[in-house]
Amino acid sequence: MKIKSKWLSIFLVLGLVLAACGGDGEGTTTTAGSGDETTTTEDMGDDPTTTEGEMMDIATDVGVDLEAGTITVGLLSDLSGGFAPLVTQIVAGQDAYWAEVNATGGINGLMVELETRDTGYQVPQHVQLFEELRDQVVAFGHSTGSPHTVEINDELREQGILAVPLTWYSGWSDPAINSNLVPHGVPYCIEAMNLIEYMVGLSGVDDPTIAIASIPGDYGLDASEGARLAAAALGLEVVYDGTGLVIPGDTTTYDEVAAAIAGADPDLVYYTGIPNGGWPEVYGRAIGAGLEALWSGAAPSWNPAYVAEGSAISAPITRDFVGSSYYEPWAGESAGVAHVREIMTAAGQPPSDYYSEGFVEATILHQALLAAYDNGDMTQAGVLAAAKSLTSVDFDGLAPTEVYTGEPNEIVQRVQWITRPDPTSETGTMIVEANYTSDIAAAYEFTGACYVLPEG
Amino acid sequence: MKGRPLLYTSYEADQAMLNTATKRVSAFLFVLVLVAIPLFKVGSIGAGDNPMGALPGPDFLAGNDWLRLLTSVLVFAIGGLGLNLLTGLAGQVSLGHAFFMGLGAYVAAVLGMPGGALWGLGLPIWIWLPMAGLIPALVGVLIAPTAVRVRGLYLAIVTLGLVFIGEYLWRNLDFITGGSQSGRSHPPFEFRLWKEEEPLISFAQDGTWFGIFNLSGAAKTYLFLLGITVLFVLFAKNIQRTRVGRAFMSIRDRDIASEIMGVDDFKYKTLAFAISSFFAGVAGALFASFVGGAIPETWSLFLSVQFIAIVLIGGAGTVSGTLMGAAFVGLSPRLIRDFTAWMQDIVQSGEGMFASIFDIVVSTGQADFGLINTAPGVAPGLGIDQLNLVIYGLLIIGFLIFEPLGLYGIWLRIRNYWKGWPFTY
Repeated sequence: MKIKSKWLSIFLVLGLVLAACGGDGEGTTTTAGSGDETTTTEDMGDDPTTTEGEMMDIATDVGVDLEAGTITVGLLSDLSGGFAPLVTQIVAGQDAYWAEVNATGGINGLMVELETRDTGYQVPQHVQLFEELRDQVVAFGHSTGSPHTVEINDELREQGILAVPLTWYSGWSDPAINSNLVPHGVPYCIEAMNLIEYMVGLSGVDDPTIAIASIPGDYGLDASEGARLAAAALGLEVVYDGTGLVIPGDTTTYDEVAAAIAGADPDLVYYTGIPNGGWPEVYGRAIGAGLEALWSGAAPSWNPAYVAEGSAISAPITRDFVGSSYYEPWAGESAGVAHVREIMTAAGQPPSDYYSEGFVEATILHQALLAAYDNGDMTQAGVLAAAKSLTSVDFDGLAPTEVYTGEPNEIVQRVQWITRPDPTSETGTMIVEANYTSDIAAAYEFTGACYVLPEG
Repeated sequence: MKGRPLLYTSYEADQAMLNTATKRVSAFLFVLVLVAIPLFKVGSIGAGDNPMGALPGPDFLAGNDWLRLLTSVLVFAIGGLGLNLLTGLAGQVSLGHAFFMGLGAYVAAVLGMPGGALWGLGLPIWIWLPMAGLIPALVGVLIAPTAVRVRGLYLAIVTLGLVFIGEYLWRNLDFITGGSQSGRSHPPFEFRLWKEEEPLISFAQDGTWFGIFNLSGAAKTYLFLLGITVLFVLFAKNIQRTRVGRAFMSIRDRDIASEIMGVDDFKYKTLAFAISSFFAGVAGALFASFVGGAIPETWSLFLSVQFIAIVLIGGAGTVSGTLMGAAFVGLSPRLIRDFTAWMQDIVQSGEGMFASIFDIVVSTGQADFGLINTAPGVAPGLGIDQLNLVIYGLLIIGFLIFEPLGLYGIWLRIRNYWKGWPFTY
């Protein structure tokens, strides 16, 4: 009996110790918000130290702390997965943007703090990190990846929280899907129309033929759908359609698609893929087989490393490739991009085209936060409502003006930049057309997603 | 026999699942605490007149965020128990766990989701969940004849092949899986008798249970999976204690010797593969449904490695070790990240004696040197994910060399130390 009771007491003591350790963890983990979603009104006018003379009534719930003077914004970023090289620079752009905003007085005195989480481009991790942040942040400054954003979309709606999508799937401009999203830039599908019409003009060939290829997933499929629409609108003959046939990581599919493209001998190729999963491989094999054509693909297909020193495809791709950008690249002339250059250079960052994207995302949220402040409602729902009622977000030339009220066909973005590779430039690209919209893209009636995600 | 807890007078008592009173009491309390966790949240008890009620306890655990982490630990535990039976108990190294998990997930999706652009039958959970285990078990039996002919490293390579065959299939069978990088939705945790509109019981939607417990969807999912996990723990524990389990262990210790003793090598190795695949299939289906959707890239070699880590870090061949391993692998990324963030806060505030020590470990800005960073690539240092891989690797090596029984072995040492305390013999 004695032994038994001693055992029991030891277990209980151990249990208490463990429980105490658990209690410690609480203090360091989830302090903000703690899941309490009631709306409170804080009156900063009572505070004698406030610098504002007038009375302010700002409703807040999660992520905005008027006493501490902070606004917390979440970033769901791919910092270690397939798009990490791009997204780390986009996050660096966001960091620099908000650092400057905070240094010049913040959002009417409130400092913006970023909670950046690495999703690794994994859906389960993306969902888990969303769950972690949803009761800590007032909005999501970006959400990387289409399947990932689809997976949290229902929860975004349920909670009434805003996210800026870091993906250009055309569905984000579809009002049936985007009630909690503020898309920006040209969707993949309309981008294909712009690029293909531009390539037709550049090729100088009468009745050029086109080959289309892509990786699976909404990114590749949406771009290929746009390429097919463009070919139909321009009367181009599609001599090969390898939509969804390039499987990243599966080199036999690179060989098959490259051989098929080269065998079809097109004048134009629209191939949407990922830089570290088959784009340069398919290109290299096709030109190795003797193909001479103009090549293009949705913007994330491009990687400055293609024309970096020592790249085997540097010379041919400089001749063949037509690129695009959803915002003005580093070498642009607008006041907006000059501002990006100034800030990023001051922060000691090397030249890159991708900081602009961070600035564009942050500008949209910045405008939404200012509008929410003016409305006196900085709750999650208030920031969402403010963002969805923005009639014009101006980027000072860094990106075309975005509108979030109106019919999808009127507000969907059609303006972008056309680039060509340039090994001698700082970022590997040069701008050949600014604020470009093709005739077929302008005429295209946009009613919803070009490629519809399968049900179920 | 009071006062002599180690004296057994019958075979049943010796072989009992919980063979001492202490174990019985502690297991009971442990399960009780696990069940109570969702009720720590304010407002979780008394939906009607008294909405503020809650059990006293660390209420951060009852938030959606931590409940989801704990739920993922439960799923890891089910999958881990399966691999533990195969690798820990029967001694057959397998890297193919992710393949069977993926297979289970897609069986569940085809059976459980309504049809449309992708294959689906829209059947209720009491069909799709068992089938998500049975069909992988059947495939396990089909693969076993190849696998039982080889041992050790060669078996690891055969099962490694399965992962790559699986990845190829999942990417190309896009009418089932939704295709690479797109994926498909998986059936929610809802109980229906047949195909009614409204589910009889939903384990995913917020709502009140029994008129008293005001539970969130995450809490219900957690409790549902806790129930399933307890069943699988009992199942695994029972296999271990029976003729089958002893046959597995004899094969692990020396397969030729065990054959001479009359153990049918082929039969039991096949059985080990089948049971392990059953566990893996169910775990895969639960995992995909818990997340809501899965892309073919989910079922990669990395997932298999995580399960190897669960078994080896937890303690090969033991059920409680596997549970500890699952908790470790499930929670360590989060704990490490929170700890890193805490260190970064201290460094940034620049106060206290630890600030300068932590400054070497964490990286706080673009130009600041540090080993760890919560935002890799933006500032120098390893990301939490990368750091975790390094830690798994080091721990697997460390445990294999110094403590083959894993966390369970460490627990045994602590237990034995206190058993003899204050005498250290």
